[in-house]
Amino acid sequence: MAKTVMVVDDSASMRQAVSISLKGAGYDVIEGSDGKDALSKLKGQKVHLIISDVNMPNMDGITFVTEVKKLPAYKFTPVIMLTTEAGEAKKAAGQAAGAKAWVVKPFKPEQMLNAVSKLILP
Amino acid sequence: MNMDQVLQTFIVESRELLQDMEASLLRIESETEQSESINAIFRAAHTIKGSAGLFGLDDIVAFTHVLESVLDKVRNNELEIVSDLVALFLLCGDHMALLIDHVESRADALDVDKLQAGASLLEKLSIYLAAQPVAAPQSAMAAAHEPRVETTGGGLVDNDNWHISLRFGRDVLRNGMDPLSFFRYLGTLGEIIGITTLVDAIPTAEDMDAESCYLGYEINFKSEADKVVIEGVFEFVRDDCVLHILPPHSRMGDFVQMLSDLPEEDLLLGEMLVRCGTLTRHELAQVLAIQAQDSVSHDDTTGEPQKPLGEIAVAQRMVQPEVVEAALEKQKQVKDSKAKQQQLVRVDAEKLDQLINLIGELVIAGAGVNILARRNGQTALLEAVSTLSRMVEEVRDSALSMRMVQIGETFNRFQRVVRDVSKELGKDIVLSISGAETELDKTVVEKIGDPLTHLVRNSMDHGIENAELRTERGKPAQGTVRLNAYHESGSIVIEVSDDGGGLNAERILAKAIEKGVVAPTQSLTEQEIFKLIFEAGFSTADKVSNISGRGVGMDVVRRNIEALRGTIEITSQYTVGTTMRIRLPLTLAIIDGFLVAVGKSSFVIPLDMVVECVEMSDQDRQALQERNYVNLRNEVLPFIRLRNLFEVEGEAPRRENIVVVQYAGQKAGLVVDGLLGEFQTVIKPLGSLFQHLQGIGGSTILGSGEVALILDVPSLVQKVVQAEMVPTV
Repeated sequence: MAKTVMVVDDSASMRQAVSISLKGAGYDVIEGSDGKDALSKLKGQKVHLIISDVNMPNMDGITFVTEVKKLPAYKFTPVIMLTTEAGEAKKAAGQAAGAKAWVVKPFKPEQMLNAVSKLILP
Repeated sequence: MNMDQVLQTFIVESRELLQDMEASLLRIESETEQSESINAIFRAAHTIKGSAGLFGLDDIVAFTHVLESVLDKVRNNELEIVSDLVALFLLCGDHMALLIDHVESRADALDVDKLQAGASLLEKLSIYLAAQPVAAPQSAMAAAHEPRVETTGGGLVDNDNWHISLRFGRDVLRNGMDPLSFFRYLGTLGEIIGITTLVDAIPTAEDMDAESCYLGYEINFKSEADKVVIEGVFEFVRDDCVLHILPPHSRMGDFVQMLSDLPEEDLLLGEMLVRCGTLTRHELAQVLAIQAQDSVSHDDTTGEPQKPLGEIAVAQRMVQPEVVEAALEKQKQVKDSKAKQQQLVRVDAEKLDQLINLIGELVIAGAGVNILARRNGQTALLEAVSTLSRMVEEVRDSALSMRMVQIGETFNRFQRVVRDVSKELGKDIVLSISGAETELDKTVVEKIGDPLTHLVRNSMDHGIENAELRTERGKPAQGTVRLNAYHESGSIVIEVSDDGGGLNAERILAKAIEKGVVAPTQSLTEQEIFKLIFEAGFSTADKVSNISGRGVGMDVVRRNIEALRGTIEITSQYTVGTTMRIRLPLTLAIIDGFLVAVGKSSFVIPLDMVVECVEMSDQDRQALQERNYVNLRNEVLPFIRLRNLFEVEGEAPRRENIVVVQYAGQKAGLVVDGLLGEFQTVIKPLGSLFQHLQGIGGSTILGSGEVALILDVPSLVQKVVQAEMVPTV
C-alpha cells in the first residue's frame, strides 16, 4: 500500500505542485489549506509524513505541528517544515515542537521529492 | 491534473495575492494597528516566491526575495511604513504582476525596458537592506549543538569504498525518523556493500525504552557521490546522531591534488580541507566544537596547548592523515612564500628613477667641488673632498644596484615556451639555462623578453632538426636550446644557442642576391652573411610555419635590441649549431667614463671599453697622412681621428694619444689630443634633434658645468673597421 503524505500550505499552487510530484513518485497525497483544516483532515486517516508551511492563516505551522505531536497516532510521524532563509528563529521553535526536517523555500519539485524519500519510501 | 494546470492555478492565485497586497498597502497608512496588514502583505510576497520556485521561475524568485527581505524588516519593526515605502511597494507589486503576465504569455524573454524597471526597483529596495544582517548558514545550527562524540572501534578500512560510521541518537524514532529509510535512500546513491549493526548500546530488557533508538551501524558503501551528497542523506538526523564519513583511499589522490591546486591564500587548515571536499562544513563545525571544548578543560589547569584541528579530524575519522599532511604542507608553502615576499620592499619605479636622477646631480656637483678644491690647494679640503667623492661613488653604486634584477626569472619563463613550442612542433627539445644570476637593469629586462622569445622560437623551429636527421648526423635525438648570460667589459651578454642544423651561409647569400640585398660581385665575410638574416623581409625557411619564418621578426628583433643600445651577432657552424649573442649596456643611467680632450671639447669614452692608451709616435704621425692604421705591438690597429670625425676646430698638438677601445672582440684606436682621466659620467639623453647623430651616444655635464659628449663606441668601432677595409686612394 502506498504511503500517504499530507501537504499543508495556504497556497493552492504550492500544494498542487508538490502533490503532483509526490503522486508521480508513487505516494498518496492529502492536502490541507491551513493548520486548522489539516488537523481536521488527519482524524481517521493514516498519514505517514506531513509537509507543512510555517506562515499560514487560521493556524500557523508551528502550532499545527505541536497539536499533531499531541495525537497518539502521529507521535512518530516525521514532519518536514517549509522555511525561508531568514527563518532561523522560527526554525528553532519548530524543532522544539518536534519538526526535525526542514526544507528551505523556494525549492524545486525534485528537491522536495528527495527530502521526502530520505524519510519514507512510497 | 498536470503541471500546466497547476501553473494556471499559480497565476490566478498570484494575481489574487497581488490584489490583496495592493489593497492592504492602500489601507495601511490610515490604520492604527498595522501588523495585520503588514502580515498579509508579507504573506503575499512570501507565497508567490515559494510557488514561483517550484515552477523554476527564477526571475520572480529573485525579485520577490529582495522585496520579501525588506518586508521582513518592516514586520520586525526595523523599518517604519512611510508613504515613500508604500509607493515603492506598490510599484513592486505592479512589476510582479508584469512578471506574472509574462509567465502567462509564455514569451521567451522579458523586454529590455521591463528588465531595467525591475533592476531599478531592486536598487531602490536594496537601499533599505543596507544594514541587513547576513542570514546564518545552516551549519551554524550544528555548531550550536554540542556534538555527542563516542569513540568507535575499528581501524581504517583498506578497501576502496566509503566507510560510514553511524550512531543514531535516542530520539530518532520519536522524531519520526526511520533508520531504514535512510539506508534505502543511501542505496539510490550507490551500492551498499555491507552493513554491520552495532548492538552494544542496547541496554538490558528492563532498562530499555521501547521508543528510543539504541542502534549503530558501520556501512561499507561504494559510490561516486561527493562527501557532501552522502552527508546530505542524513541531513534530517544530522544533529541527533554521530556520523563519520571516511572517503575511499582512491579519493585521497584527488584531495591531495585539489589541495595543491588551491590558490596561494592564507587559509585555515579547516577551510582548506572543506574546500578540497574531504571535510564537510558540518564536520568542520563539529571539530571546532571539540577543539573549543578541549581547550576549556585544558588551558586553565595544565596550560597544555590545544589539540591541532587536523589531529582531531583524523581522530574523529573524518579525514585520512595523509590528506591532513598534504594540507599542512600546502599551508607551509603559502606561509614560506609570504615570508619571502615580506623581505622585499616594493618601491614605485618612478621614485627610484628620481633617486637616481638626484644622485646623478650629486655626482656632477661633487665633481664641481673637486675642481674647486684642487684649485684651492688646501690639503685638508682635498682630503675631505676625496672622502666625499668615494662616498658619492658608493651611494651611486648601491642606488644603481637597486635597479638591477637577475635575469633568471626572465629565463625561467622560457621553460614553458620551450615545452609548448616543442609539443607544437613535435620535436623533443630541452632548455638549459646558465648564468641566471647575472644582473641587469630592470628596464632592459622588461624589454628583452620579446626579442628573446622570438630567438628561442626561431632556434626551435629552424635551428633544431627533426629526430631522424639528428640521428643521421650523429647527434642525440633530443635537441637542446641554451640560454646563457654573463658580464663582459661593461656589457651584459645574453646568448641563445642551439645544437641544431646551423646557418647555411651559401643559401643565405644566394637568397640575398636573389632578393637584391647584396650585389653578386660583393665579397662578404661569414659574419656579414649571417647578419643578413636580420634584414627586413628575409627568410630562408623552406616552409612558413606559424611559429616563425614569415620573414618578419628577425629585423624587429634587431631593432628592439638596437633601441636598448645593444647589438646582436651570430656565430654558427653548419650542421653543428648556432649561437645568437645579444650585447646590452649594463646600465642606462650612470657609468664610469674616461674623459679625453680634443681641441677645446671634451669627450667621454665608457671606461669598460677602454683597453689601453698609447702615445702616438712621430713616426706614426708621419705615416698617418697615408694610412689609417698603426702597428700596435705587431698587431694592426685601425684608428680614427676624433678631430677629423667631429670637425673640431684648431690645430692638432705636437703630442697626440691613441685610446684603444674594444667592442665585441674588435679593437680600434681613437686619436685624441689629451687624456683627462676617469670621470663619473651621468648619462643625459640627447634631445630628439640629435638622436640620429652617428658616433655620439649621449651627453654629460662636467664638474665645471661644461657639456661633454659621450662616444658611442660600438658604432665608432664599426666605422673604423669599415674605413680600414676601404683602401685610401
